[in-house]
Amino acid sequence: MITLKNIKKSYFIGERELPILKGINLEIRSGEFVILMGVSGSGKTTLMNIVGLLDKQTEGEYEFMDVTINGLDDEKLATMRNLHIGFVFQQFFLLPYLNALENVLIPIVYSSKQIRHPRDKAKTLLGKFGLAERIHNKPSQLSGGEQQRVAIARALINDPDLILADEPTGALDSKTGGEIMDLFQMLNEEGKTIIVVTHDPKLTSFGRRLIRIEDGTISEDITR
Amino acid sequence: MGLFQKISQGREFLEEILKILYYYRGRVVFSFAGVALGILSICIIITTIEGANKKAKDIFEALGPDSIMVFSGGERQRAARVRMTTLTVRDADQLQRINGIYDLVKVYSVRNVTMRYRDRKWQTQVIGSTSSYFTSMAWNFRVGSVYSSDDYANAEAVCVLGAKVYDELFKDENAIGKVIQVGKLPTKVIGILEEKGGGLGGPNIDDRVIMPFTTVTSRITNDKRYLSMMRLKTDRDLDKTIEDVRTVLRINHGLQGSADDDFTIRSSKDILKFVTVISGSLFLFLGTASIVALVVSGFVLANLFYLTIQERRKDIGIRRAYGASRRGILLSFLFESILITLMGGIAGILLSVALGGTFEKLFDIPMLFSYKVIVFALLFSFLTGLLAGLRPALRASRIEPIEAIRG
Repeated sequence: MITLKNIKKSYFIGERELPILKGINLEIRSGEFVILMGVSGSGKTTLMNIVGLLDKQTEGEYEFMDVTINGLDDEKLATMRNLHIGFVFQQFFLLPYLNALENVLIPIVYSSKQIRHPRDKAKTLLGKFGLAERIHNKPSQLSGGEQQRVAIARALINDPDLILADEPTGALDSKTGGEIMDLFQMLNEEGKTIIVVTHDPKLTSFGRRLIRIEDGTISEDITR
Repeated sequence: MGLFQKISQGREFLEEILKILYYYRGRVVFSFAGVALGILSICIIITTIEGANKKAKDIFEALGPDSIMVFSGGERQRAARVRMTTLTVRDADQLQRINGIYDLVKVYSVRNVTMRYRDRKWQTQVIGSTSSYFTSMAWNFRVGSVYSSDDYANAEAVCVLGAKVYDELFKDENAIGKVIQVGKLPTKVIGILEEKGGGLGGPNIDDRVIMPFTTVTSRITNDKRYLSMMRLKTDRDLDKTIEDVRTVLRINHGLQGSADDDFTIRSSKDILKFVTVISGSLFLFLGTASIVALVVSGFVLANLFYLTIQERRKDIGIRRAYGASRRGILLSFLFESILITLMGGIAGILLSVALGGTFEKLFDIPMLFSYKVIVFALLFSFLTGLLAGLRPALRASRIEPIEAIRG
């Protein structure tokens, strides 16, 4: 599903080159549950952005869903994201003027996939996550854990192949965070490929594969 | 992609945008109100101009396309508001003999004559004319009728009241057969005219009393030589007839060489020209004002929009992550700003319909609503939204998702 070959990424501050990723080689297959661990500044978020087609590498080759990503234009990248990836973020990023149900439906507006009865599907997802009573609530009326579950439902509405979660438990207490991780576990058992990016060592107990990033390179890659 | 899906996506999209507008209503309302005011004034201009044109055409038609009016006093005296009587009864008799003139109405008018009925008083203009005065003005009687040829020949003290004079002297009482004082002359009322309405800012056309020409010249002014104006109709070419009339009058008045005319000739064509000039300057003045209003509200919209974008970076980032392309973001922001201005435009149109009646009463300008107004108004509001939204929308579309999400 994901093949990274010698991926490098640098930022330039004036003349000075600031390397973030220093040659990443990585393969992730369909159905995996990967914890991508690293301290802040290690380059893990940059790696996630490249994997999630939100950012472009400076060097190297990236193949996603058997498509070579190098050189795709904005329109194509947007379509790829829409079709194949569901994002979950630390700060949830629900839109304040939409209720839970409408937030879940956002990817549908940009989708070219034939999703039958998206509203019913969104309701089913929210129900499955224990939010059946909350579908008409605005984000401000939901707790952090509830907001994150709405965000996960949003990530799933378009039937993506990959769920990319960036510090999904970062804004939650450890109990709620654990519940969210259990949810990912469940989704993985249902067949979704999941990548969770985190700095939190407690999350190493989840997932079947642990990849540790240090200073822009992979320092550890263990599959259990 | 199925058509049904497209439609339901469109609905989803529209609903979302309406919710965004509602969420940011505090800002939206300013741009909305600005556009509404601009469009309101555009609507009023267009309807007023259309109304004025319609009125001019009505006057043109009422006078007939073959009408010529000749007034005493040259252009210069008229411009200086110096009243001179230079036209004579003899002029009229000679003009009647010009080839093609089939109707000639002599008019002798006296201003500021006091009318009295019982304890009521009213100052108005008395017009002495032939009985064809009414037909040539296409003026119908509410009650009563015109004076007979005997009345005319014998200079009887009879009069026809304009609607305004009737209202002032009689309110709603019956007036036919009653005797009023016209100056010092007791005069019998024999007819009341239908209301014609205001005359494009001129003196109220209904504020006048019409009597036989002979009565006015022999019993009110005792001036049997002069005329105030004449109204002619010709079945020959209008411009050629005007030339003939001018020649005859210049000879009669002994005007030679480069001496200015001491009379003024107006045709129904001139009236049409006059209205065109008036509505042209109206258009220029009010048009500029409303364009300024639209431009200002466009700037307000653009600025508020620009500010909002900073606040909506995360919103944009999320949409980009979930599959919106740059173009998609650009279009949805443009759509949003156009929606604001279109709604403002519609509000402006509705306001102008509501206020139109008031304007009509206040300024006595007829207004004419047509599809043209609506098309113009919507087009202008669309353009305002498009132009104002373009820069902010471009900026929004250039926001990189990772920057936005990183916050």
